[in-house]
Amino acid sequence: MRGRLSPAEDNVQSTEPSPRSLKSGVSVTPVRSVRSTTRFLGLVGASFFLLTATMINLIAGQGQRSAPAAAQGGGRGARGTPNPLLSQPAPRLPDGRVNFGRVPGELGIWQVPYIQNMGARNIVMGAPPASAGGARGAVGGQRGGAPSEPWVPFQPWAAAFYNYNSLNQSKYDPEGYCLPPGGPRLFATPYPMEIIQQPELKRIVMIFEGGTHVWREIHMDGRPHLKSEAIKGQTWLGDSVGYWEGDTLVIDVVGFNEGTWLDYYGHPHTDQMHIIERFTRPNKGTLHYEATIDDPGAYTKPWTVAWDIPWNPTGELQEYICQENNNYYNRLTDDFGQPIVGPRQ
Amino acid sequence: MKARLTILAAAIVVASAVPVVAHHSFAAEFDAAKTVDFTGVVTKVEWMNPHVYFYVDVKDPSGKVMNWGCEMGSPNGLTRQGWNRNTLRIGMMVRVEGSAAKDGSNVANARNVTVDGKKLGAASSEATNP
Repeated sequence: MRGRLSPAEDNVQSTEPSPRSLKSGVSVTPVRSVRSTTRFLGLVGASFFLLTATMINLIAGQGQRSAPAAAQGGGRGARGTPNPLLSQPAPRLPDGRVNFGRVPGELGIWQVPYIQNMGARNIVMGAPPASAGGARGAVGGQRGGAPSEPWVPFQPWAAAFYNYNSLNQSKYDPEGYCLPPGGPRLFATPYPMEIIQQPELKRIVMIFEGGTHVWREIHMDGRPHLKSEAIKGQTWLGDSVGYWEGDTLVIDVVGFNEGTWLDYYGHPHTDQMHIIERFTRPNKGTLHYEATIDDPGAYTKPWTVAWDIPWNPTGELQEYICQENNNYYNRLTDDFGQPIVGPRQ
Repeated sequence: MKARLTILAAAIVVASAVPVVAHHSFAAEFDAAKTVDFTGVVTKVEWMNPHVYFYVDVKDPSGKVMNWGCEMGSPNGLTRQGWNRNTLRIGMMVRVEGSAAKDGSNVANARNVTVDGKKLGAASSEATNP
């Protein structure tokens, strides 16, 4: 077993999830009140999953394998023609750094794939290779929960939480409430994004159309993270400091709150989460994304996910203001049939 | 006016036909096994985030009119598929193929919308990013 990643100056020592933990995705009163019920249901569900996980996982794997090649950053376009961008080198900025964005005179956006299950993208602990290639996860409802993902180092409560989300088909997904994606989910929510490098300002700005309409500023000026008490649990997208390792952009992120999930399937995290992201552009048409999730509040050891994000050379960002008219949220009911918003009946 | 509403059995719905909705859980709100296919007159259009909704008056064989709410993808996703806020207008006759809400209400996730004989693609983002 690998050791913990070096703490990003602010790692907290407690191994028990804070009271905010179970807000993850269930931050609304009627659901939060059933924290113990949630865990109980998860444990009941786990026994069911143990019986069916193998079969279900096979089904899920097939779903992964059916993903369109184009969405994987694969070698061929929609009509089977080779994508010429894949044989072109990554562009570079005047300072010699890899350019993760556009070049003058051209358009382009990163076409973020829809990855529903981060557990299927764990690259270091034995996830089936077939699962590692697909852009889409299995369709809703065909899930095996934690028992089907022995390569994800769940703590018991995290496994129960995940099973619960599997059983109810992610009905309490924070993204369904128009809240932002958690950590690596920014690169798994299927709306385009751009990376804008400003070396003269010692920063990189990432703008995301989905998630929705959120941005990150990556500090490239060598500053450390804010001290733990100032940043712990304070932000949705984390405090990001970046540096270069050759042609790899490394970003260290801490300071997450517990209002998000790692993915649509409902892998949880706590405010102890520390993410190390590694970005490379192996060719003009591909952004390779890798994230190590180090969260001693939810997982017994760090685990790493990775996938490719294809470049759409004609794309531009559009507006997406999720909060405008969220009928899903307005109609959502809790486990007792009571409305999440509005008066109880 | 020809109007029809068909609920089909789960067994004939293949898994690959389950629409993918990125914004929220499809399976929590809709039942992919309860497919709907109806034709009616548009009564209202909400070109809004995170999902575009439109409403259709559908007449069943007995002549009774029901108003169905239909959810599509997000405006940005639909725009990329060639839609705009005037593609659907009040009074238009449209055919909707999709999945009905689990709770039995007259709400459907629209997978295909056909206007003037022209099928306007996977509005619910079944095949492409929303």
